[in-house]
Amino acid sequence: MRAGTLQDLLKAGDRVAVSNITGREAGDVTVASQKYCANVVGGWALGKGGQAIDVPGAPAIPVFAGAGELFAKLPPPKRPNKVVVYSPPLAVYGEVKEIVDHAKGGVETMFIVTEHVSIEVTAKIARLCADANIDVLGGNSLGMINVLDGVRVGAVGGDSPAESFRAGCVAILSNSGNMVNTMASYLQSAGMGISYGISTGKDVLILLPVGDLLELAASDERTKMLVLYVEPGGLYEKRAVEMLTRTKFSKPLIVYVTGQILATRDLSLGHAGAVVEGGQTSAQAKMALFDEYFGLPPFDPETRYRKSPKLTKGLRRGLRITTLHHLPAAAKLIGDMLGIERDFPPAEPLHLNPWFADYRDLARRLPSRVILPAGAIPEPYASYARVATGERLGATPVRRNMRNASHASSNDGRITRIHGYSLEDQMAQGSFVRSVLLAWTGEPVTQTEEELLARCFIAAISNGPGTISAQGVKLSTSAGNEPNTAIIAALACIGDVHGGNGRQAVDYLLKVFRDIDIADPYDRKHGIDLDDLVHRVVDRFAQERDAAKDAGRDYDRIPCLGHPIFKDDAVNFDPRERVVSRFLEERGLYNIFLDFYHRLTLRLKEVGIARNVWAVNIDGAIASVVLAMCWRALREKRITIQRVRSIAFLAFALGRAAGAGGEFLDHQDFGSPMDMRVAVADCEVLTRPKD
Amino acid sequence: MAPQATELFFLQHLAQAFHIPAPEFLTGEATGAEIRKAMTRWGGKALVKPDVLAGRRGKAGAVHLVQDYVSAQKELKRIGGLEVNGRLPRTAYLVQYIPGKREIYTAITYDSRFNGPSITVSLDGGMDVEQIPDEKKVTLPVDVYKGLDAYQASELLGRLGLTGSVANTVSLCLVDFWDLFITTGMRTCEINPWRITPEGKCFACDFKAVFDEANFKYKNLAAKPPEYPAQVTLFEEEMSAWNASSHQGQAHAVELGGDMVLPILFGGGASTIIAETLLQHGGNPIILSDFGGNPPYERMLGTARICFEHHLGKAAVLLILGGKANNTLIDVTFQSIADALRAYVDAHGPIHTPVVVGRGGPRLVKGMLILRDALSALGMPYVIFGPDTPVTQVAEYAATLARASKGNGGVA
Repeated sequence: MRAGTLQDLLKAGDRVAVSNITGREAGDVTVASQKYCANVVGGWALGKGGQAIDVPGAPAIPVFAGAGELFAKLPPPKRPNKVVVYSPPLAVYGEVKEIVDHAKGGVETMFIVTEHVSIEVTAKIARLCADANIDVLGGNSLGMINVLDGVRVGAVGGDSPAESFRAGCVAILSNSGNMVNTMASYLQSAGMGISYGISTGKDVLILLPVGDLLELAASDERTKMLVLYVEPGGLYEKRAVEMLTRTKFSKPLIVYVTGQILATRDLSLGHAGAVVEGGQTSAQAKMALFDEYFGLPPFDPETRYRKSPKLTKGLRRGLRITTLHHLPAAAKLIGDMLGIERDFPPAEPLHLNPWFADYRDLARRLPSRVILPAGAIPEPYASYARVATGERLGATPVRRNMRNASHASSNDGRITRIHGYSLEDQMAQGSFVRSVLLAWTGEPVTQTEEELLARCFIAAISNGPGTISAQGVKLSTSAGNEPNTAIIAALACIGDVHGGNGRQAVDYLLKVFRDIDIADPYDRKHGIDLDDLVHRVVDRFAQERDAAKDAGRDYDRIPCLGHPIFKDDAVNFDPRERVVSRFLEERGLYNIFLDFYHRLTLRLKEVGIARNVWAVNIDGAIASVVLAMCWRALREKRITIQRVRSIAFLAFALGRAAGAGGEFLDHQDFGSPMDMRVAVADCEVLTRPKD
Repeated sequence: MAPQATELFFLQHLAQAFHIPAPEFLTGEATGAEIRKAMTRWGGKALVKPDVLAGRRGKAGAVHLVQDYVSAQKELKRIGGLEVNGRLPRTAYLVQYIPGKREIYTAITYDSRFNGPSITVSLDGGMDVEQIPDEKKVTLPVDVYKGLDAYQASELLGRLGLTGSVANTVSLCLVDFWDLFITTGMRTCEINPWRITPEGKCFACDFKAVFDEANFKYKNLAAKPPEYPAQVTLFEEEMSAWNASSHQGQAHAVELGGDMVLPILFGGGASTIIAETLLQHGGNPIILSDFGGNPPYERMLGTARICFEHHLGKAAVLLILGGKANNTLIDVTFQSIADALRAYVDAHGPIHTPVVVGRGGPRLVKGMLILRDALSALGMPYVIFGPDTPVTQVAEYAATLARASKGNGGVA
């Protein structure tokens, strides 16, 4: 062992390099480490040399092609003295060998995070690194944190190490990386902080075993108590206890031994375990080993411990706990009896604290002691939860790699499916609109929705050759383009102002209705005072408009109101919107969003914001129809808000693409090349010649 | 479970390849004529043994000495179907009887005392080797790079008092034994006994090995250990194949035979302590599982689907529990579990099994809300804890809830 103290394994000022740094896990963990303590000087990854990993608020991390290049190119003050190995299992041996070859004595500690490293390779690494005077933690180690110095390597502490690890006097030595975090969190309720959290790894061979770490802890003045998380296998604890006894180790240990359950699964094929290591490797044997060393029965929270020479003598060595959540109580007992001061005021005692609970029918059937009311969510989670739960509508899907993957379509070699529904069945049903909506929403729509959307698609086909999108297709055709290019030209001329208003209307309607619990947007008996809602919306609009005018800045318009042609009557209508509204009226159907829009435009006239009643245009109708169609899925968080906005846009775009096809065919047959060109004489010169 | 091999695999695939002298043998499929011929060649004495993944076959009365062709055939049939320590043999086989003047125990394994391989030898081999006192066995660390040479082997035997030509013969066998161990990617290998004939010849008369799946040498072996019957349940079999299909995230699960709590657990350490806590508090876990290691969406979805398909129907409580994860993305794993639950309900109809959840780690709140919304939509009762509630307390509560639910006529 090279280290002389625990601090030698990792301290402030150490320079860390990471192998396979651009890997999925290594990349994330390294960025989190860099944010926490900025101790990573570089990394390497095959084929990624020359890149850099940007870290917000911390130095970027240079990526080299290999360990050799990293050691050669980094200037001496930046050369790493700690290395974290994240390489795939079969590459680990080669990586370690390369590090040893190139580090030339500069590397002091290696942390091997990789899992599934073969035992033979681990044994070889043990030899190789012992010869090179390098201490090795791992394989399958999560790394280490030195809380007092505020530095870590590997993933101990996850994304936010400061959350679990407050500085203090307890060192955690654990076979399980996860338990380092968990136990550190628990100790906060005893007012005990952490000096070091070390994950030894839990492979068959542990290269820096608990005995060695305890020896290092003996001389560490900052560590006053140790917590050991012990799993079955190996004679490491036996040898550690021999060392503790021999050296009269003076710091108390709290030991938790797990893995008894594994004994029942042991096939005990052969006798090698028993013959070679003497049957001392089981959880049961390790429990007995520590109980004997402590000279005390395991901690019992029901026992009233009274100070006595025997108890104090035992506690100086330590205590075993049988349940993990007894850890704070045991730490408190040892602290009180031995006069170890708290590191900070104890956090709230550990208790059952449900963040979310809904027992449904069980609440009536089960004894009340079993039913737990939802408690308080602690910070910082409460803030996240407030923001997240404030969002009543829309799914928040988890992102994944979508290369070669699709929810929208599939083909198993025989059947093509749209969102799981056979394309052939869709063809047999014979509705293009229904199939398009299935492709967009992922769910079958009703007959009424299909008919409503059909009207919206038709409405979008054309609004005359003067529209910007029609001009786009005509220009492209006039330039001699093929139909696909010409239609792209039409679609390229659709934007937020022309055609995209439906998307803005969805945003607007969601802003108004987001916090209103509408169970069914098609139900006229919705129980909502729409007039009151409209009054509030208009009042707010008026205030914002007046304030903006006073301040001399622009204000947000209400989308989809008004029409360039139908604008001069006392009450105006967009005839296309009327088709949609009439369809609903004739069938006795209702759409709360369209109703809202009509009441809104009336109210705007009533309060004098508008001089007459503006038309609700077709984009408003499309948005209302699309939003109602998607409302249930939004409310049940099956689809995203983003998708609904896009569907409103797509509804226009699909109709207009079809219309653009018509303009193309017409222009192609009857037009002549370049006929869309504007004569030079008709162009206005705004810049005087400067040559 | 790591792959294991028994004597028959050794005789068929390893002994000859590594020049380890072993008795002749015939499998249970041998014809009458072959058996008759072999018995004659072997001097009329043979042993019938079961090919079973269980130790102490001799003590269990499953190794039978036969002295004629008829009893050999009869015993092959009988022992082929004889349960040994609760396990059924794959087949039975006939092996040449080797008269022994001396029985030697040997094992090579990775030894935590040396953080490398070691060889253990005792001249008191055969049965009851666990009882061998320390002074009658010698363990020698082996240099993992240089291996074991005949000089070291001979010195080792000398320390036990074995010298002369027998020691020379055995030394050479031990070198081949090491070669076998290190070449095939083993984790532990035991030959017990080596039987030394009155003529001073040495034969490996029983064999057990555990391979290291992570070792590429094992992966490259031309012959893999056979599948032994009744080792695993259908669920374990499916889960094991699923686990082997990818290295991204763990999918370890074994059945524990319980009928109360279905635990979907994360993190090897946490999994064990949670299962132990459930047992302590009457929560009879159905499985022991470890699904940590940051499984991607598809991995966790498949894992959850297999667990639900086999066990959700009988569970009184579904427990989804792990410590505070360092790497595992909670939203990804919980989204997968939610989708697997939806798929289960689509296939089997609504269920009302209460779900107890406890977790900490990256993207926790998002994950919890995904799961909560899914459980609400499915109509399943739920209690969700954060990392401020210890996993063992959550497990204790899940056991209590399971007992209370069962005591109240189940969960419908």
